[in-house]
Amino acid sequence: MASSQPGTAPSRLASLRSALPFSSRDWGLLLVAPGVLLFSSFMLYPIFYLFYISLTDATFAGSVIGGGAELIGLANYAQLINDSQFWTSMTTTWLFVAVSLVVKVFLAVGIALLLNHVRVAGRRYLRAAVIVPLGFPGIFTITVWRGMFSDARFGVFNTILGRYNDVMASLSAPQALLLDVPIGFLSGRWEAFFAYVTAEVWLAYPFMVIIIVSALQDVPRSLHEAAMVDGAGALQRFRTVTLPAIKGPVLFASILTAATSFQQFLIPWVFNQGGPNRQNELIIVYGYREAITFNQFGLSAAILIVAIAFVGLFMLVAVRFGGLAEGVGDE
Amino acid sequence: MSAVRSFASLVAAKLVALATAPKRLVVTVQRAVYDVRTGKRSPWDVAKSVLMTLFGLAMVFVLLFPLFWITTASLAEGSRLFNTSGIFPHPSTYNLGAYRWVIFESDFFFVGGDWGYPQIVVGGGGGLLPLGFRWAGTKTGPGAVFNSLYIVSVTLAAGFGMIVPAAYAFSRRRFVGRKRILYGYVLFTQIGAGLSIATLVALYSLFSTYGLTNNLFILGLFYAASAIPFNTWLLKTYMDNIPVSYEEAAMVDGASFLETIREVILPLTKPGLAVVLIFVWLAGWNEFIIAQTLLRPENYPLSVELYNIATEGRFSTPWTRFAAFANLFALPVAIVYLAAQRSVEDGLSFGGMEG
Repeated sequence: MASSQPGTAPSRLASLRSALPFSSRDWGLLLVAPGVLLFSSFMLYPIFYLFYISLTDATFAGSVIGGGAELIGLANYAQLINDSQFWTSMTTTWLFVAVSLVVKVFLAVGIALLLNHVRVAGRRYLRAAVIVPLGFPGIFTITVWRGMFSDARFGVFNTILGRYNDVMASLSAPQALLLDVPIGFLSGRWEAFFAYVTAEVWLAYPFMVIIIVSALQDVPRSLHEAAMVDGAGALQRFRTVTLPAIKGPVLFASILTAATSFQQFLIPWVFNQGGPNRQNELIIVYGYREAITFNQFGLSAAILIVAIAFVGLFMLVAVRFGGLAEGVGDE
Repeated sequence: MSAVRSFASLVAAKLVALATAPKRLVVTVQRAVYDVRTGKRSPWDVAKSVLMTLFGLAMVFVLLFPLFWITTASLAEGSRLFNTSGIFPHPSTYNLGAYRWVIFESDFFFVGGDWGYPQIVVGGGGGLLPLGFRWAGTKTGPGAVFNSLYIVSVTLAAGFGMIVPAAYAFSRRRFVGRKRILYGYVLFTQIGAGLSIATLVALYSLFSTYGLTNNLFILGLFYAASAIPFNTWLLKTYMDNIPVSYEEAAMVDGASFLETIREVILPLTKPGLAVVLIFVWLAGWNEFIIAQTLLRPENYPLSVELYNIATEGRFSTPWTRFAAFANLFALPVAIVYLAAQRSVEDGLSFGGMEG
């Protein structure tokens, strides 16, 4: 850019540029360094340390600290592969991620389309209301959901299902439509799994709705009107106008919420600690319990390293295909 | 002060909009009736709109049902919640007993609800000033809210001290390793909390080794660390949208480097700073599993106390008290969040969202 002839416009601009502190390289690093240092010492260093623990036969925190643990190589990982509990946990976790993701996407797209529809009066207020769950702490909302799914005869959902039975019975509906209440939501394997998915979907849908709505609002109305003039039906318009607009953002949000679902800890922990009979221990709960309840620090560290590796994979995929790091290379 | 005033005017505007909503509803209905009468719209067309709106309302009600339920539950201290008469307490039994319990009997403000007042003691004090500080009038001492506030202030101070300069540097400067560090941050954006639970085993060992357990200051720093990648990235993308020419113009007018920061960058970044403030605050305010593992009972913040109330009964949760405690715990954050909702939404659909 800079011209060598003095007095011309480009060179005046160049001298202005050099007067600005935009050319003195590298001291920007000083501004970044404290954050990097803090982050590394509290987040990265523990990960490396966790990897070290996973190579030892440490049984409890004291044996890690006091030096009572010995390096045993990859034995913990070998044990993990042969541990049926590990495979139960892995399958449950992936199933949880997949099922909740599918439900989430359909629910969020439905909500976003409805609350963005011109026929819905007061849609701005409804949109504001529908994402309220995001403003409450997870420990609070998850405990409330545990109350909703209470096993008790008069738990919230059991009461609602009881009402449903009453209505059905008064309509003299066939016996097959009646439900067997009370349902032990937290004491059966798949009942508990269903409860987890419900809570997870409820926690994550606001984020998706926000992203989908902002994508929908970028679609010019004229596009819809043009499609209408061409005689496209509602379904066809969805396929040709709406879907292309929200595909990218939905994919992106899916990867991110899948990564967070994969690390879901609070829901299983608060609901029934991954029960019944350890059948629903999502991967992080599994690792946490091996350390805290069963004093298997080495094994636990190996589990958590595997979990972190998977999450890292998620994020790499998000960065590569979701365009997450778009702003990194510019300027 | 101006921040407080602009926040107040924002809340006021929202309240006015909410208060005038019924009027606008009436106008909409009147116009619909008029359109049908004059034949501009067919009755079926209007009916479709009404049905869609009712459907939207029903959906919002279903989705927010848990919050609705827990709020009514918090008003029902003394009456049994789960019984034959249904899941909602009868409105005639509404009372504020549970809130009274939180304020005057629980450990929320003061241990055992034994309130005191701050007193400045002249003469003592171990610091540079010959002034000490203590709680008077309480036999037990300050409660969980002070632990939470202490953690959050450390998180906010450390977080802002590191996030804001770093975001500026990432946005405006080029330096060795910029791309690499930024790329690393992006990898860690969404996974702060989950990751910290995953490393809990290692953290516990490390903190015990260095004698850092049961230390609120260190815990606050830890939460700041977990909030750094996401919020730095967020603020960086925000600053990228401020044209460089503004700074150049200020410099041409003779502003020094620090003046451009103070007069150009910071004022224009305000909404972004508000979002970062909320997120960093939440990072320190909400987390409980690490706090529970690393702290001893006398240092428990509100989140851990809330969990303890939820699990104190072997088979049941004292729902009314839990709900009141949780509402007092969550309400300040929820209010700020709702007031800044637009900014938060923009912040969440950050970065490569358009791609």
